[in-house]
Amino acid sequence: MNCKELVYLLGEYIDGSMEEQLRSDLDDHISMCDSCTNFMVTYDRTRLISRQVQLDEIPGEFRERLRSFLADKAREHHQGIEKYRKMAAEEQRKQVEALLRAFREGRLSPSLSLLFDSHRDRCEKCGAFLRSLNGGEETKPVPPEIEEHLAEFFEALPPGEEPFRS
Amino acid sequence: MENRKDAAEPLAPAGRNVIIVEFQGHIRNPILVVESKLEKSMPAEQLLDDNVLLEELRKGSSEAVEALFERFHGKIYGLAMSILKNESDAEEATQDVFLTVFQKAHTFKGNSALYSWIYRICVNACLMRLRGKRRQETVSIEEFMPVFTDEGMHKSPVEDWSKEVERKMLDKELGKVIKKFTDELSEKYRVVFVLSDVEGLSNEETAQILGLTVPAVKSRLHRARLYLREQLGRYLQEGKTA
Repeated sequence: MNCKELVYLLGEYIDGSMEEQLRSDLDDHISMCDSCTNFMVTYDRTRLISRQVQLDEIPGEFRERLRSFLADKAREHHQGIEKYRKMAAEEQRKQVEALLRAFREGRLSPSLSLLFDSHRDRCEKCGAFLRSLNGGEETKPVPPEIEEHLAEFFEALPPGEEPFRS
Repeated sequence: MENRKDAAEPLAPAGRNVIIVEFQGHIRNPILVVESKLEKSMPAEQLLDDNVLLEELRKGSSEAVEALFERFHGKIYGLAMSILKNESDAEEATQDVFLTVFQKAHTFKGNSALYSWIYRICVNACLMRLRGKRRQETVSIEEFMPVFTDEGMHKSPVEDWSKEVERKMLDKELGKVIKKFTDELSEKYRVVFVLSDVEGLSNEETAQILGLTVPAVKSRLHRARLYLREQLGRYLQEGKTA
């Protein structure tokens, strides 16, 4: 171990990640070499006093400008998302409405018919709701949970199959 | 029975939910939170929790936006300035960072700490701005690396100025001197130095933020410290002879 090697390895020596044998080699060298002792002490001191550095402070005028800009942007962003959510909800509502109409009128595609029958038997809530429709009866408001379930039928449709017969 | 119930009843308006929230750590007393059924607003203390803050941001809460701003604007601007060294660039970068955080709040997975995710966004925003610009004039770090003889000994004896440094300078002055020296380094070393030694992040966190390997962080940090040690030593020596 010489001074050059010691300086090269100092970072690992100080952060404690060095393996034991190497550490004891370094200790041996340091105990014999004043320059390396001083080098290590000043290196470590440099590392520690760096915590005194203050990063640049944000100018007050910019801080306030940024604060109100971000409040506006966040509001805009949120409104955009809300608008999208409403559109998506409206779309789903219409889809399910069309689905139920086709169900009442017996126009469901073969896969959808199958999905309807199996889901009606499996899902208690949807089953009760669908049975209450009683074939030709007029539209009823669809509870949200049931709407979610029915909307999923569209996802399960095989590619290329139209959901309803005209 | 009735009386006891009355005595324990908190003073809350009818029709509102009352939740007692106890915080651990710096807030000693349990805080009574009156949650309105009509207008939900999140108490500021809860927004100190990263997950709560992000969840509220996703919902578009204006308190969450304000809490995020309060918590990070100083750090983001400071970090941006330390990379970009230009006020108007740092302002633009800071603004970009917040906008990115709003837009990507839903993609934050919680694998790392929130601050580390935000620092990463900040570093990327700054590096985007540096790209295409001429590299700033910086000192050559090589000139400040220690010099050895052919046998690998120190070329000249090394002095111990570690006790002198705090005797000669106040903390604030010391901070300024170090900052001036590191501002002259290329951004490659400076940003590692700022994150690890100034902000006190672990090498692993710094590596994750910068997209570097841990050995690369260690080696850059080591060179930055060697440079700074030499600069500080010269500064103190000159001060002594002056």
